[in-house]
Amino acid sequence: MKKQGRGMASIMFGFGYGEGFPDHSIAEVEITKDKRIKVRTAGADLGQGFLTTMTQIAAEVLKIDPSYIEIVGQDTHKAKNSGSTSATRQTFFSGNAVREAAEEVMGKIYHYGSLYFNSNHPELTVKDGELYACDECEKITYWELAEIVEQRGKELKAEATFFPKTYAPDRKTGQGEKIYVAYTFMTQVMDIEVDTDTGLIEVMNVYTALDVGRAINPQNVHGQIEGGTVQGLGMAMMEDQVIEEGITINADMTNYLVPSIQDIPNFESTLIENNDSGGPFGSKGVGEPTIIGASPALSNAVYDAIGVRIKSLPITPEKILNALEEKK
Amino acid sequence: MKISLTVNGEKRALDVKPETRLLDLIRDDLGLTGTKEGCGKGECGACTVIMNNKVVASCLVLAAQADGAEIKTIEGLGGKDKLHPLQQAFIEKGAVQCGFCIPGMIMSSKKLLDENINPSEEDIKRGLSGNICRCTGYVKIVDAVKEAAHKIKSGGEENV
Repeated sequence: MKKQGRGMASIMFGFGYGEGFPDHSIAEVEITKDKRIKVRTAGADLGQGFLTTMTQIAAEVLKIDPSYIEIVGQDTHKAKNSGSTSATRQTFFSGNAVREAAEEVMGKIYHYGSLYFNSNHPELTVKDGELYACDECEKITYWELAEIVEQRGKELKAEATFFPKTYAPDRKTGQGEKIYVAYTFMTQVMDIEVDTDTGLIEVMNVYTALDVGRAINPQNVHGQIEGGTVQGLGMAMMEDQVIEEGITINADMTNYLVPSIQDIPNFESTLIENNDSGGPFGSKGVGEPTIIGASPALSNAVYDAIGVRIKSLPITPEKILNALEEKK
Repeated sequence: MKISLTVNGEKRALDVKPETRLLDLIRDDLGLTGTKEGCGKGECGACTVIMNNKVVASCLVLAAQADGAEIKTIEGLGGKDKLHPLQQAFIEKGAVQCGFCIPGMIMSSKKLLDENINPSEEDIKRGLSGNICRCTGYVKIVDAVKEAAHKIKSGGEENV
């Protein structure tokens, strides 16, 4: 017999290393004469789409079409350390470093632009890669300004480090002033069907509400929700590393099952854009939080469907059948 | 041993060892590193290529078995200057995250659409069931294959 169930889980996730660790990211932004804006940052192209989001952030600050932005690096020979691509931290950490470096460059554009036009800051307009003192006045491009600035022995270039302070929690109380830079919140509801003859679970629908602060690239954030949740469902339902006498005996994909395209549910996801004060343009980390809700939501749905609690992962057909047997 | 085969429309003659796999020939001898090695035992689909109009895991085919064969790899579909509708659709739909599985996904999708240009969601899932992806949760991959079918039907024929 097939029995339906619905389960829910809410999670809160502090991202970055936090707890007083000297976690930071360094980025550099440079306007070059070859009509490019080079952003040097070493992060790998994972997460919310590192190259995409860093490009968007730099383009937004520098008021220019993203096609001019070139990310140089993903390599610590070409860029300074961005810190690890882990802990759900790159959008927040490197995003802030890139934003700050771009703001420094924007400051230089205004400074040298004002000197060139003999104007005051409020009179100067900077947009679409150009600057001018009035609508009918002479316009110069960022690249022309870079050339002018170079003649003064200077550069339209800046480096910035995002290096927030966090504090270790009190060992007794678990409380602290600021243990993580920020927290991501998520609630997930799952509709499932349990086959009481075979013990198989089918996840039909997953509804997600994720507080991302601000989605720099919504398509990529939805992709992370879907990818993270499917990984989480793998952990919840099938992934089981079997170790015998110190040796993993199922180290292959025939015996260690991960979700295939046949195993995926329907998704309906809502992004809550409740700006975080510390993130670039209000954004926050997304990666790991999207994995964590699946196991509790699924096990709650199993309880709702068949009235038994399975207290170890993965919730395999064997465990379901055994639990049903015991319940009789 | 000497073999000859056609790779992405180009005739190639090579001297291979008896134990060389088609995957090694493609990546190491021909330098076509778009094709990836994941598990190395036919379970993950990362090394998928099309051989004589069949989808194969190139890690399970010996180079010698490909003597005289016609092989198509991801490089044969299109490059940066001119993307195949499948490649374009994967980008537009955000179906690529780390990207490691994508060449295999696209080759399986190519074979699927060659045979059925109006695939249902179930057809797509069955067609790609041999390709494992760890990042995307597959949702946008299904969307991308639907979009590619639409692109090909609505006039992208010369791109295929």
